[in-house]
Amino acid sequence: MSKDAKFCMGCGHPIVLQTLYKILKNNNEEQKSVLGLDIGCSLLAWDFLQVNTFQTHHGRVTPTMVGFKRAKPDSLSFAYTGDGGAYSIGLQSLLWAAKRNDPVTVIVVNNSVYAMTGGQTAPTTMKDQITLTAPVGNSEEPIDGLALVRAVNKKAFVARSSVNNPKQLQEYLQKAIESQKQGNFSIVEVLSYCPTSWKTFGVETNNFLEELKKVFVIGEY
Amino acid sequence: MKFKILLAGDGGQGVQTIAKIVSECFFVKNFEVSSIPNYGLEQRGGVSLSFIQVSDKKIFYPKFAKADFLLLMSDQARERTLEHVSDDTEIIDFKNYQEIILQNKISRSSLNIFFLGVVAKFLVEKSLIVKDDVFVIFEKKLASKKNWEENKQVFEVGFLI
Amino acid sequence: MLEKRFLNGHEVLVEACIDAGAMQMFGYPITPTTEILSGWINKSLQNKNLHCLQTEDEVAAGFAVCGAIMAGQKAFTATAGPGTVLMQDALSMADGMRLPFVALIGQRGGPSSGTVIYSQQEVNLAIHGGNGEGLRIVLSPSNLEEMYTLTRKVFNYAYKYRFPSILLTDGYLLKTRQSFSLPETKIENQKLLALVDEASQKNIRNIYTLEKELMSELEKNKQDFEEMSKEIVEFEIYLGDNSLDEIEDLIIAHGIVGAVAKEAVDELNKQNKKVALFRPITLSPFPKDELNKLAKKIKNIFVCESSLGQLHDLVKQNLEVTTKISGIFKPAVGVEVEEIVDLVLSNK
Repeated sequence: MSKDAKFCMGCGHPIVLQTLYKILKNNNEEQKSVLGLDIGCSLLAWDFLQVNTFQTHHGRVTPTMVGFKRAKPDSLSFAYTGDGGAYSIGLQSLLWAAKRNDPVTVIVVNNSVYAMTGGQTAPTTMKDQITLTAPVGNSEEPIDGLALVRAVNKKAFVARSSVNNPKQLQEYLQKAIESQKQGNFSIVEVLSYCPTSWKTFGVETNNFLEELKKVFVIGEY
Repeated sequence: MKFKILLAGDGGQGVQTIAKIVSECFFVKNFEVSSIPNYGLEQRGGVSLSFIQVSDKKIFYPKFAKADFLLLMSDQARERTLEHVSDDTEIIDFKNYQEIILQNKISRSSLNIFFLGVVAKFLVEKSLIVKDDVFVIFEKKLASKKNWEENKQVFEVGFLI
Repeated sequence: MLEKRFLNGHEVLVEACIDAGAMQMFGYPITPTTEILSGWINKSLQNKNLHCLQTEDEVAAGFAVCGAIMAGQKAFTATAGPGTVLMQDALSMADGMRLPFVALIGQRGGPSSGTVIYSQQEVNLAIHGGNGEGLRIVLSPSNLEEMYTLTRKVFNYAYKYRFPSILLTDGYLLKTRQSFSLPETKIENQKLLALVDEASQKNIRNIYTLEKELMSELEKNKQDFEEMSKEIVEFEIYLGDNSLDEIEDLIIAHGIVGAVAKEAVDELNKQNKKVALFRPITLSPFPKDELNKLAKKIKNIFVCESSLGQLHDLVKQNLEVTTKISGIFKPAVGVEVEEIVDLVLSNK
């Protein structure tokens, strides 16, 4: 039996993970599923669900799951990562997995900061957003990782949802799994809460997420 | 017995093809052979070398300081191999074959086959290989490639000098 | 008598990996190991059970190997120089998770892009390149036959003991074409193991909440490593015409320089020098006890290597006697028989 998770209060990760687990359970596919975890807050998912999981290195979960899936094509292979792991240190491997159309599903939990290390600027930090490494506000525009993925892969399922729209999130994750089963790459980015790094309380947290939605377009690409 | 051969030319001249055929001739005669090309950055537009050793005993180290026999296919190659030449090194230098090459209208792309013939004759005279072996291996490697008929003739020109 | 063939090191390695039961290679082109990648791809055209991916870089190659191993497939990579540096990321994960990671390393000159064919400068990197204690198995072959056998062993050790295992060679040995025949005795393959499968649920970590948790893992790993060492430690003592009792001087060399040193011992024997060669085959675990046993009676030790002293340091670390050590240290340049002979003869 898995132990209790150690996510912060108000974190969006448990919503994403539980939504994924619900789908796998409904489809009776928990056993054939493997969740590879990037380093960052994603690593805390290691004993959260009753599926096989393993931690990897920061930015390296995608190539690890590419290797896993190639060795075991009948598995459902998920690469679970944050926005830093996906779009900064791991961008090269993400794009190449997409470009090769490797049939894995990448789930990117985007909270606009490096949260595990305390809230530094991430590739998804919004312009003027204040972080520990941008104390006077981020001078750059954030990256749209999904547009990059789409640019190198026309077959992949590519979509962005948010933790405050679980119905849509479930739909996209389901479609991503279908895409993997059909032999295609898939990626779902989920805009997610990080009240700890954002230093927000109650409704402010949801308001912050709504601000993110203005910058990161919700929907299928 | 140990005999050390250094083949040298410009990258793209086909030095490694000569090396492959010659080394295999030693191998089929049951000699111990070691053959190593020097690839690398140097080869890009530079000099291509092949270090070949033939012996009746196991060869441990593929490179050597001084060659017993040196084939030079270009001026650049001569410069590059100075350190490997001793007073005893026997040298076949392309410079001394210019006239025959012109007379026989040997094309640039067949130049290595001409020198394969020259080298083969040298090694046959040293009793290190036999001509039939050379031809069998030469045929195995190149018969399916273009210019085979031309190559066959060019080889004979080189061998019969 | 087994069939003799005229092969180069790349061809021997590819054959050894196939015979070891490897099914997948992940790699990125780099001299002098590129031909292992292209050679494997050519074999995979004839044998549908063999798979390959040329990845976007060495980092991805290493982690894809980790993923395939998790899934229960024998996978490996081959790399060199700057690629060996990048490979440390995945190797370090393999260190931490005790993955049967197999890497074939063709040393080339360093640091940086250096030179592209030959060196012995990746000894430290192979053993100690990770952010930990360097509990890796590193084997160094001196000729093509040994290259084959040690590659088979690298796979077997990786799966039997579950430590990352490295075949450490160089571009000279890889590119040299020589006569080669398979070993007389058949080598059995160690069984596969899937770290993750459907039958059971596993949650595998490489990051720990508590410092003490990590420490106790590492202490256990260290203990396993030491127990294993007794079983796999390998070396050669080459005496030439001498008997063990009369040896005065000892040459220490590994890999292709070890082969050269053998010839030097023969030459020195002719000149009545009582010299022997000690050649560590397992650079890690290092044949410490065996070296010390031998070194007790020795007057002079000569370490010969194509590096500024990586083997020398390894020897010093393990040597319990204060015998004088000198040697030949030529980073990224080959060592020749005559040089070793001169060194030993000139020693007073």
